[in-house]
Amino acid sequence: MPLREKTKKAEILTLEEAVKKYMRNDIIVAYSGFTGFNRNPVAFAWETVRQGFKNLHVLDRHGSICTWLLNAVGAIKIYETDWMGWGEMAGKLDVNLERGYKAGKIILEDYSHGAMAMRFLAGAIGAPFIPYFAPLGSDLYNMEYDALGKAGLRGKNPKIPKKKFIQMEEPFYGEGNVVLLPAARPDLAVIHVAQAGDKGTARWRGVGTIDKEIAFACEKVVVIAEEIIPEAEMRKTPESNQIPYFTVDCIVEQPWGAFPSSVPFYYDYDAPFMRGMDAASRNEADLKKWLDEWVFGPKNWEDFLVKLGAKKLLDLKADMVTGYSVRMMRGKKPAPRMKMPLSVARSGY
Amino acid sequence: MAKSTEELMELIDQIPNEPAKPGEFILPELMAIAVAHEVRDDDIVFAGTGLPMVGIMTANFMNAPHATLIYKSGICDGKTMHVPMSVCDQRAANMCSTLGGLVDTFGYYLQQGYVTLGFLGGAAIDKYGGVNVTSIGDYYKPAHRFTGSGGNSDIGTMAKRTAFIILQEKRRFLERNDYTTTPGWWCWDFKPNGKKEWKPKKEVWKGTPFADCGPTSVVTNMGVYRFDKNGIIYLETHHPGVTVEQVKENCGFDLNVSMVKGETPHPTYRELFVLREFVDPELIFLPQKVEYPAAIKSIIG
Repeated sequence: MPLREKTKKAEILTLEEAVKKYMRNDIIVAYSGFTGFNRNPVAFAWETVRQGFKNLHVLDRHGSICTWLLNAVGAIKIYETDWMGWGEMAGKLDVNLERGYKAGKIILEDYSHGAMAMRFLAGAIGAPFIPYFAPLGSDLYNMEYDALGKAGLRGKNPKIPKKKFIQMEEPFYGEGNVVLLPAARPDLAVIHVAQAGDKGTARWRGVGTIDKEIAFACEKVVVIAEEIIPEAEMRKTPESNQIPYFTVDCIVEQPWGAFPSSVPFYYDYDAPFMRGMDAASRNEADLKKWLDEWVFGPKNWEDFLVKLGAKKLLDLKADMVTGYSVRMMRGKKPAPRMKMPLSVARSGY
Repeated sequence: MAKSTEELMELIDQIPNEPAKPGEFILPELMAIAVAHEVRDDDIVFAGTGLPMVGIMTANFMNAPHATLIYKSGICDGKTMHVPMSVCDQRAANMCSTLGGLVDTFGYYLQQGYVTLGFLGGAAIDKYGGVNVTSIGDYYKPAHRFTGSGGNSDIGTMAKRTAFIILQEKRRFLERNDYTTTPGWWCWDFKPNGKKEWKPKKEVWKGTPFADCGPTSVVTNMGVYRFDKNGIIYLETHHPGVTVEQVKENCGFDLNVSMVKGETPHPTYRELFVLREFVDPELIFLPQKVEYPAAIKSIIG
């Protein structure tokens, strides 16, 4: 891994400029958030599709709105991940991904969530590999099922490890067998956050998933922020910040840039919109219509939001106490207003 | 005028904790509550999305109010008011103890050995409790390709006990999975020379802190299962309206039914009240809301 010569200086770009400068064909990329529901850098992936980048190697731990968009236009060539549903309400494989995979257009490399978290942790701390116990005895660690190896892709690109894993006897405490996992070292991290200082220090509220690890594991880091605020403001409560500025190459201010996923304390996820995406992907004509309408139709992301309409944005706006919205219809009935969780009200903590 | 949730909360203890009659509840409710019964008050539970989450939320509201709920995206002891649709939903993070990420949940909590109960789904299961959430048929040219492991294989092998919720069909209850994502009590022993041998998990994981961890129960749409001392699944109870014969017919191997205790306990009116009014009143996971019998209606008003 190359050492850095000097501190990075984060540049502030527009969405279009950032995608143009930091994306390229064949890049290895990791996206922030978790599943389709939380802090997906959707606007960035959306613009990536609009600019027509192809043959991407997504090294990630979840199917997201980003991977759904990229799969919808066949932009992913290698998908190294551990969970490929894109919306857990469906709980199923992304239909476009399945279509591409069965047609032999996509290489899938399977790991588990824990293994992928460990791989990014190793990448973040500059370790070449990390030991992990789970899941010994699983076909995930069957040498015949090394998809990148089978495709002859190991040992060429220095960012792709020479082996998928190595199982060995634990040499220090004698705790049976353990699996060594290679560090994840993607080219680019795209991380959606709540706020970024104008120097690049970044923060979110809610779950962290593996975004801090991704920021350190990747060579280049693009931060998409709901709002850019003076760096001085970020320094008033530094314990709330997760990403130090010196990992960040580029900052983009893009309000509502994670829609239809959520940004806790900013806006909620839009379950009906995601169901609509899933429904559209069930046949190619509907999908094309959906893409023309929602991806290629709008002039820019602001235009996309205008198309969504004020009512939608108001319904999704998070309240400042819980960080989510109870005005959005997620199921078949409206959400009840609640002041206290039942378990706490009746039994405390 | 519909009652507020605070007013409904006051009614919980007045609702009889007696078993409901057939027709007064639906299958997903029975399954969610059967799941809830697996949770102990001193458990640290690591659950997946969907019915497992509905089940542990019900447990947290009823029989296990002090159980600690871990959600894999980084949430420690979330105290939910509204059912989360995903493990990263801000709803799951409500009033939690600490918030972190996957390194916290899979490393600091799970591999560190804190998690006592895992709750997971699966596409297919073998008679040793091994679960497949990856593919059916040839791995590289599958007849069906699923989402892949997610946290299933980590939690299912490193939590002290694991319970699965699975839809039961002959093609999903198998002698042996095409692909073992989450090893059960028997699994592969992969040798350095590339050979493999099918062995008890206790031997494959021998010496690790997790040799005795594994599946302890399975809840399906037809019954509740446990595992014998050899790590082989057996039927413990069959759901109301399902016969032992029907269970056997929907099983791809010769199921041990010699230890059946009878019918799965019906959910109680109080459990159903909590599930319907507090866990999933938005009808996200439950398909519909069933009418309460007259005696219960009169209490609710």
